[in-house]
Amino acid sequence: MKKISFYLVFGILCANIVLAQTREITGKVTDAKDGAGLSGVTVSGKNDQSSTITGTDGTFTLKISSKTTAVIFSYVGYKTTEVKINDGQANIALVQGDNQLAEVVVVGYGTKIRRDVTGSIAKVAAKELNNTPVTSFESAIQGRAAGVLVSQQNGKLGQGINIRIRGSASVTAGNEPLYVIDGIPLQNTDLSGNGATTNSLADININDIESIEILKDASAAAIYGSRGSNGVVLITTKKGKAGKSKIEFGYYTGTQKPTGKREFLNAKEYVDYFTQAAAGAAAQDTIGSNGSYLYEDALIDEMDYLNSRLTRYSAGNEDWKTQKVNTNWQDQAFQDAPISQYDLNFSGGTDKTTFYMGGQYLDQTGIVRRNSLKRYSGRLNLEHKVRDWLSVGVNMSFARTFNKRVSNDNAFSTPLQIVALSPITPLIDPRTGLTSGALDLNTGNPNTNYPVYYNPVLSVENTKYNTVVNRTIGNLFASANIAKGLTFRTEFGMDQLNQNEDNFAGRLTARNQGVPNGAGYNSSDQILNVNTNNFLRYVTTFGQASDFDVVAGTSFQKYQLTSNSASAEEFPSDSYKKLSAGASKTAATSSATDWALLSYFARANYKFKDRYLLSVSGRYDGSSRFGANNRYGFFPAVSVGWIMSDEEFLKNSTWLSFLKLKASYGLTGNSEISNYASRGLYGANAYGGFGGQVPTQLPNPDLKWESTASLDVGIEASVIDKRVTIEVDYYQRQTRDLLLSVNVPSTTGFLSKIQNVGKLENKGVEFTINSANVVTKNFRWSTNLNFAANRNKITNLGGQQIGTLNRAQEGEPLGVFYAKEFAGADPANGDALYVRNSLNSDGSKDRTTTNDVNEAADVRIGNPNPDFIYGFGNTFTYKGLDLDVLLQGVSGNDIFNGGGQYMSASGSNGFDNQTRDQLNAWKKPGDITMVPEARLFYANGTDNSSRYISDGSYLRVKAITLGYNLSPKLLSALHIDRARFYVRAQNLFTITKYKGWDPEVNADYQATNIDQGVDFYSAPQLKTIVFGINIGL
Amino acid sequence: MKSNIFSLLFLTATILFLGCSKELDTTPYSNIDQNNALKTSSDVEGLLVGSYADLGATDLYGGGAFVTADLLADFNEISWSGTYQGMTQIKNKAIPVDNAFTQDTWTEAYKAINDVNNVLSALSVVTAAKKDKVEGEAKFIRACIYFELVRLYAKAWNDGNPAANDGVPIKLTPTVELSGSADQLLRDKVSVVYAQVIKDLTEAEALLPESNGFFATNASAAGMLARVYLQKGDYANARDAADRVIESGNYKLTQANADDIIEEFLYTRAKAEDNTTEDIFAIQVTTTAGVNTFQTFYSELGRNDISIKDAHYDLYEPDDLRLNLISSDGYVTKFDNVYGNVHIIRLSEMYLIRAEANFRSNTTTGAEPVDDINMVRERAGLDALAAVTLADILKERKIELSFEGFNLHDIKRLGVSTGYFTGGGGLPFDSPKLIFPIPKRDILVNPNLSQNEGY
Repeated sequence: MKKISFYLVFGILCANIVLAQTREITGKVTDAKDGAGLSGVTVSGKNDQSSTITGTDGTFTLKISSKTTAVIFSYVGYKTTEVKINDGQANIALVQGDNQLAEVVVVGYGTKIRRDVTGSIAKVAAKELNNTPVTSFESAIQGRAAGVLVSQQNGKLGQGINIRIRGSASVTAGNEPLYVIDGIPLQNTDLSGNGATTNSLADININDIESIEILKDASAAAIYGSRGSNGVVLITTKKGKAGKSKIEFGYYTGTQKPTGKREFLNAKEYVDYFTQAAAGAAAQDTIGSNGSYLYEDALIDEMDYLNSRLTRYSAGNEDWKTQKVNTNWQDQAFQDAPISQYDLNFSGGTDKTTFYMGGQYLDQTGIVRRNSLKRYSGRLNLEHKVRDWLSVGVNMSFARTFNKRVSNDNAFSTPLQIVALSPITPLIDPRTGLTSGALDLNTGNPNTNYPVYYNPVLSVENTKYNTVVNRTIGNLFASANIAKGLTFRTEFGMDQLNQNEDNFAGRLTARNQGVPNGAGYNSSDQILNVNTNNFLRYVTTFGQASDFDVVAGTSFQKYQLTSNSASAEEFPSDSYKKLSAGASKTAATSSATDWALLSYFARANYKFKDRYLLSVSGRYDGSSRFGANNRYGFFPAVSVGWIMSDEEFLKNSTWLSFLKLKASYGLTGNSEISNYASRGLYGANAYGGFGGQVPTQLPNPDLKWESTASLDVGIEASVIDKRVTIEVDYYQRQTRDLLLSVNVPSTTGFLSKIQNVGKLENKGVEFTINSANVVTKNFRWSTNLNFAANRNKITNLGGQQIGTLNRAQEGEPLGVFYAKEFAGADPANGDALYVRNSLNSDGSKDRTTTNDVNEAADVRIGNPNPDFIYGFGNTFTYKGLDLDVLLQGVSGNDIFNGGGQYMSASGSNGFDNQTRDQLNAWKKPGDITMVPEARLFYANGTDNSSRYISDGSYLRVKAITLGYNLSPKLLSALHIDRARFYVRAQNLFTITKYKGWDPEVNADYQATNIDQGVDFYSAPQLKTIVFGINIGL
Repeated sequence: MKSNIFSLLFLTATILFLGCSKELDTTPYSNIDQNNALKTSSDVEGLLVGSYADLGATDLYGGGAFVTADLLADFNEISWSGTYQGMTQIKNKAIPVDNAFTQDTWTEAYKAINDVNNVLSALSVVTAAKKDKVEGEAKFIRACIYFELVRLYAKAWNDGNPAANDGVPIKLTPTVELSGSADQLLRDKVSVVYAQVIKDLTEAEALLPESNGFFATNASAAGMLARVYLQKGDYANARDAADRVIESGNYKLTQANADDIIEEFLYTRAKAEDNTTEDIFAIQVTTTAGVNTFQTFYSELGRNDISIKDAHYDLYEPDDLRLNLISSDGYVTKFDNVYGNVHIIRLSEMYLIRAEANFRSNTTTGAEPVDDINMVRERAGLDALAAVTLADILKERKIELSFEGFNLHDIKRLGVSTGYFTGGGGLPFDSPKLIFPIPKRDILVNPNLSQNEGY
């Protein structure tokens, strides 16, 4: 300890003395890869206090002590190299570092070298993200980062994507991470008007992104305080580099297809099956009639009814008897889906100014009919040194996203619900020559009872639903060196979003809309999200051994949303699509909402002897969402790290290159609830043209933060000459004071109240292995494996049970499926049987079966949370060729087919076409089958039960890229710097036992924290193959 | 120098930030604080209007409570072909305790009850001239809802001892904050709920004016009172209440138009319409507010989930104009207007109640039973009868009020089986399957709430 103090004092004193005898050396630093000058490289004398930075051409001049014999070159991403001074000269061609330790990692309000990180941070870099043929960047990080579960609800473009970092930390409050782009928190409000969420992150151009850092543990995320509990995703956009200016052009084009299809009955099977179902129903009709209604009579009645319905659904003729028409309706849900993207960007700079300017156009057609997305976007990132102590800059982007959307999964008009239509129904009604359902000749209006349901093709042909988002995200910043080591940075950012939804449904959609003469809807939303950060950073070194890095500052954010919408009906004709033409204005609304967050934060990093690491941080947040009694919350965190491999006893290890132990503990918060959740509120309604008001919300002035205490311990190691790096983390996250929507007795007049009730925990392990398997001059093979297992458990809900099928329940993971245990068909009579599962007096479970669903107890039938998730990537390069293969998977989760009650229902919930497995229905006494007897309109086994649960595990060939880089010789002949051709496939192949369309699914109209893993006519994911080219000048 | 400037800047920024703490005091834009909601007479009147809107909720007086009752009572009169599984369960008399529709009726009911309890607690700020009317309307709404609850979620009055059978919890005070176990109410007995309903309606009838736009009038209260008394077999009181409505002279039966469609159910286009001369109380539906759940499930222009079977057709005489309320495809057209008002009490029901109650009491208050029945028949284009039996009266009632939510409750009060009108069979009136379950969500949060038999 004394020694440290000595060094501290000595260091300060010496600083001005050493300059006594100096000499000047010069040199040039180049990139070993291409020989270009490298600017910004730190050049320092060995055992010397002096240092400088190379200029734009890579040259430098350094004054050093005449005794110094060598200089050290260090540069981010490159191997730090020592060079002997030779004749006043020191030149070096720096080689890129192939271990990750030197990598720079973006953390909140600063950066760190990977080696010094004590928290848990996953990084996904540009080369993994860029040119991924997906709409939104979250899809591009799927499988790339340990512990980050990315799941896209369905294959509709620009729709909701859920991200869970180390599990779900909340039951009712938000579970999505905080997104921060270049220091500015992004708003991620769902403004969708159709009940299915949209994804506002789809406004971001993936190719503008330099890196994505995911802050997973409390020590990394606590600097974001009240919003850190679900992790923080930091997005850093590209910047120019000093040196030769670059022009990059990129283009890809390709096609997309659904990842899977389901099998349904054909016309013959359909007719046979429903004949069977009508007979099954006849037997039921007679029950309870005490002999007054004979089976023979019932059978005649049922068959009459069936025949009339089959004739109706066969376009009024008897073609169904011969199966002349055999329509595969499923095919009508899909369309050819091309995708193209164009990129052009420029970057470069001088020692004073750097810039990056990028533009992109994405033109994507969806796999489901009438779905498409077009986006154009531009970005300018500029930084300029005004004085040697002052830099200013701007990061500015705009985007216009034009999304032609389709209905949510629960609408008759959603493309995939088309599978419910009968295969005996023709595409074109021969009576009218029009799309089936378009015209009833008797009424002159669209059919109201033909086909069996509203035909979604009519919506394809007669509706528009255009969502246009204009978004500007920008921030201005200034950074000043106030004194040696002390910088002040101020940032002012704005995330501004305007959305317009323009919706029109023509006359032929009347059966779906419920109104005869056209219906229109138009909404406008404006979001203004303003943020400012002001902070000081002080970096200093005491003596040789102690490094300090301290950040302290304030932040203020204000969010405002204003919305207007209107609806009209009674249009003169379908040619008029704007509301002004609708004679009857049926709705008009305007509304507004806001919130504000005021924060003070600080962090201190201390490094001793380059191997003992300590980080302490805290944030004090005040939010408008909470009652005055509990408005502010404090979120501290501490972490330690020990680089053991630098200790004497390991320093000479031949196999171990690096070993770091780390641990962190801290508190983060969650405030993602509605903006005025703590108030007792009245809201307006209307009755018969009079304005009214009613109570809408119970007050809770004590409402406060939900907080999560997280512990993380981890090891980072690098072995075999740094060729294999391993990271292992174990964590425990305890969330308490859950912001819970607590059910209250409805006799109060209310259903629920947001209260701080309950606890839950997430525990898990993660590991990542990066390995350079083969490194030769011409051939390289590297592997990345990441794996994460999370166990979520609700430990206390104050006795609550929330949800019916998906539940939040004490002792169970969030969203666990509860329903009856299905026991198949009763061999005696074909009744659906359920296991009673009620408790016997001796405490055991009654395993007998019953056909009365109310006699069976609800039991856990599945869990939508995976046991583990993983990604396995391999990259091969051979000369100019490269091949990248990413496998991604989730394992152990279950999926509930919510559409099963209609499509796999023994024909007992109507004339919906059935999945082919229903052919195994019970037919005669003695049959042993899991499919109960078909009974038309006698719901036989359609209650929620394990009948509709299946394993949702999958392993997917997520991404394959095969690329070819033109050889330098050819390039110079063509006078271009870089040229690359590639073919890339996304979701190429999926291995799963799931019989539905795709195992990555979450019914979009009902997806919440609790309601997960339900498939409800959800569009499958996209299988995409593109060919691309990148040219650099 | 430089550093001083920036220290100053930083300090200023920090101070500015302290000022920002005021920015945390946000005010809702679209809602108001409950403490400011009931300050004036018009505030309370606004809450009363809001209560009507909540009374007209989808699964309450929007019609859902009547559609589900008809499905539950059905025995081979209708086909159900809808996709709402909750409705299918009700039609099949196999209702799980978490059935969405039976839950929604219950929760919507208590929401509206809380609304009117708030109105009644704030009467002191209501202008003297309007006070009686406001109080009367609030009590009318409350009584209507408790009557609906007790007959759907509890044993019928004539099923065992109503003083011993569990009814539904009665709450007469507003909830402005939670009060823990005090919110965990017990079910009051059936007879207690009926008594509360009759008390509220009797007071409402005395307080309400004769004319009140489409809002509740004294006749609305009397009409509902007639229905309640009939349900508990108190024929004298039922007769007198119905008689008061008829004799007020403010209502008259609508007639059939040139196409032989009874104007009460006339549908031309989807637009909001005024109450008819026959409506004693109707829930208002406009293009911007309110819903007609009958339309949703019955109409061919809605989900056309319910179609008519032969057993129902067989009830009619061939010339009955009311057959025109069933389409050629077998769908009910009574409710085709998506913006049509939900008819809650029609004058023809009053004639039918007066006739039945007079017949049973052997009295002729207001009119001979046969004359009341002929009023209804003649409007339907049928010949007048010379004399009526009880069976005639009940059959006329069955046809006239069909698909309007009466069947279940008539079967129960008559003590017959669900197939009574269509040749026998079906479930007996006291079958536990003909009673809704108490919603599971409420059983879970209120251990004091008993569940109905069979669930």
